[in-house]
Amino acid sequence: MQPQPSVVASVMPEGERRRHLLDLDDVSRAEIDAVLETAESMKEVLSREIKQVPALRGKTVVNMFYEESTRTRISFELAARSLSANIINFAARSSSVEKGESLIDTVRTLQALGADILVIRHAQAGAAHLVARHFHGSVINAGDGRHAHPTQALLDLFTIREKLGYLDNLKVAIIGDILHSRVARSNLWGFTKMDAQVTLCAPPTLLGPARFWQATWPRVRITYSLEEALDGADVVMALRLQQERQQAGLLPSLREYSRFFALTEERLAQLADNVLIMHPGPINEGIEIAPEVVTSSRAVIGEQVTNGVAVRMALLYQLASQVTHEE
Amino acid sequence: MRYLIKHGSIIDPAQRVATVGDVLIEDGKVVQIFDLAEMSPEQQAIGDNVEVINARGCVVAPGFTDLHTHLREPGEEHKETIATGTLAAARGGFTTICAMPNTNPPHDRAAVVRQVRQITRRDGHIRVDVIGAVTLGRAGGTLTEMAELVEAGCIAFSDDGSPVQDPVMMRNALAYASMLGVPIMSHCEDTRLNSGWAMHEGVVSTRLGLPGYPAAAEESQIARDIALAEMTGAHLHICHVSTAGGVALIRNARRRGVRVTAEVTPHHLTLTDQWVLGSLAEVETGEASAEPAKGGRRGRGKKSAQNHQGLGLRTWLDPRLLSPYDTRTRVSPPLRGEEDIEALLEGLRDGTIDAIATDHAPHSTVDKECEYGSAACGISGLETALGLVLTLVHRGEMDLVNVAAKLTEGPAQVLGRSPSTLHPGARADLVVFDPDIPWTVDVTTFASKGKNSPIHGQQLRGQVMLTMAGGVIVFRRDDFGKEVSSPRQASRLDGILTSEG
Repeated sequence: MQPQPSVVASVMPEGERRRHLLDLDDVSRAEIDAVLETAESMKEVLSREIKQVPALRGKTVVNMFYEESTRTRISFELAARSLSANIINFAARSSSVEKGESLIDTVRTLQALGADILVIRHAQAGAAHLVARHFHGSVINAGDGRHAHPTQALLDLFTIREKLGYLDNLKVAIIGDILHSRVARSNLWGFTKMDAQVTLCAPPTLLGPARFWQATWPRVRITYSLEEALDGADVVMALRLQQERQQAGLLPSLREYSRFFALTEERLAQLADNVLIMHPGPINEGIEIAPEVVTSSRAVIGEQVTNGVAVRMALLYQLASQVTHEE
Repeated sequence: MRYLIKHGSIIDPAQRVATVGDVLIEDGKVVQIFDLAEMSPEQQAIGDNVEVINARGCVVAPGFTDLHTHLREPGEEHKETIATGTLAAARGGFTTICAMPNTNPPHDRAAVVRQVRQITRRDGHIRVDVIGAVTLGRAGGTLTEMAELVEAGCIAFSDDGSPVQDPVMMRNALAYASMLGVPIMSHCEDTRLNSGWAMHEGVVSTRLGLPGYPAAAEESQIARDIALAEMTGAHLHICHVSTAGGVALIRNARRRGVRVTAEVTPHHLTLTDQWVLGSLAEVETGEASAEPAKGGRRGRGKKSAQNHQGLGLRTWLDPRLLSPYDTRTRVSPPLRGEEDIEALLEGLRDGTIDAIATDHAPHSTVDKECEYGSAACGISGLETALGLVLTLVHRGEMDLVNVAAKLTEGPAQVLGRSPSTLHPGARADLVVFDPDIPWTVDVTTFASKGKNSPIHGQQLRGQVMLTMAGGVIVFRRDDFGKEVSSPRQASRLDGILTSEG
């Protein structure tokens, strides 16, 4: 693992090497497989006594977090450190954003300071695309509004592959606040590329019209019935329900939501023993998922977090290095 | 000064005239139109004391009227001034524009209106009519002194981008304005139903995760305002209708005899929400494009592409020139769907929609270089309006005479004026445009300070060559019309005039 200077990247023709990861929509199956394979090596690194390799020594990674995040920020930070990169964190509240500095101006400043890779989390959809347009290095989208969270989708795929041994033709149920979820959207791209059958399940206020989804992801199924969504599923993914959705009038009450859409032991009893229960976190125990489900043997929520570091290491490494993956 | 505009294809919708001939202008007025077919003694007697403008191959039409322009002066002169805005209008073929009141201060007091008119007299290249605010500060709380504003020169009232949400206030505004004989121009938007919106709510907003502006947020407000207009008997003008449902509501109201008129923008007639996807947009490909370079298939989608197979047109609009989330596509109301465009075109054709208006909304770079949802809404549209609507003519979706009518006669009728015309004795407000000439939109050449156009870099066909306001040439492209004989043939127009391609 000896990366060369990233300067070479800019003179390479477009398409030969990925510069940014903004979503999974433009990522091929082969690329996904390559990331997951690299992530396996990274996971091995993380199991060593000294969890560090020099692959990104001398590179500077900046975590730009314009929205609160604990796990994603720490995961990227650990990933960068494990690759020996310089990592700089800044959160919107402690930066010049308060003084009205524009996102683009901040990007130009980081450019001038010599950053190689920007990791951006932002409340508005499209922010990562905006940053990518103004930055000469690489950009990783760590979540932009409702739009995309591609590293989450990749770590979900990695976890499923690790646990089940395969990714083809899965039956996946995604349950919860789909409408506002970047995790759901990126996973739709990821699962679609694996030819999975995805079922989205939520009340209409958290989903919108089925045709809005099916025009982009034609194979996706939409149901308001949790039982129907769970039927035959290999993977069940619950999404966090933010309490302000109820306050905004999208739900009568959290109680009613839990009654009809929460993952409970009772409801999961019908499923096969090897079904995977996933959640991108943070969890509202007792609202979208029952506490005993979180701790059950079928839940892989902790593994998702662990694998996040390895997957992000793989991405950082691939974006920073000159390796071109033959398809 | 005397001008003889020779050998143009004269389109005068108000007179139902479409002919090839010469137009003589003297002392700021149209003096005579000569039909090319018959060489009259008067024409021979014109003499030498005249500047001949060779308009062979071009259309000569009454100057365009824009019902919906944002001039930004006073208050935001870094975005536009009356000087730059009216020059941009002249370059777009407009000889009258109506200035929306959302300046700072807004057009809510007679003193501001008088100031705007005074600046226009000093700096303006063409005529500017002033639209007054409906409420003080456009805040929706207190009616402006409308009668005094009309006295000061206001020709209509609107709170435009801050539409009156309180139905009681809107009822009162309509009723009060009806006394004054001027329309209320309503930007119809229920600002609660689209709270936090970034783009049209639909397939694309779902994919991109951008908060949506549902069509119903426009339609419900149009329905409310129509009911209030019907009740008060006032003249309601619907600004920039963008939805199929909105067109249907207006059509239905007109049939009942409600005094409702409507406008549509060039961008809502030609661009869809696919433009927010930019390079991610799905563009139709398939068997029909034997010659991809001439396909005309990259326009708005399947339907229009099928309409234009075999026409050999070189004009198309390709959203893939933009990046995803390009803020130049952010406009209010947002770019809608293909089915909305079909309905808007039908509305133009059947008379439900009276006018094409630009909603020219210049912004500075900093207002646009930011996150999509935070970007200022608006498109700098004066200088591309004709080129965009002519794509509809080239695709066979509108005929040229009808397009000209929607830019001249239609808006005049909305304002309750006798139509602008080339009839002898009329003020010489006219435009000469080549309906066929290909050109590439380059915002750096705009006279407008607003360079915010999503169609930068797109190829259009049809461009304004000369604009005359009150007999004065206010815009002339290069040395247009100065050569005595042009290689361009009037016959090239025939296909366009009859929409046969």
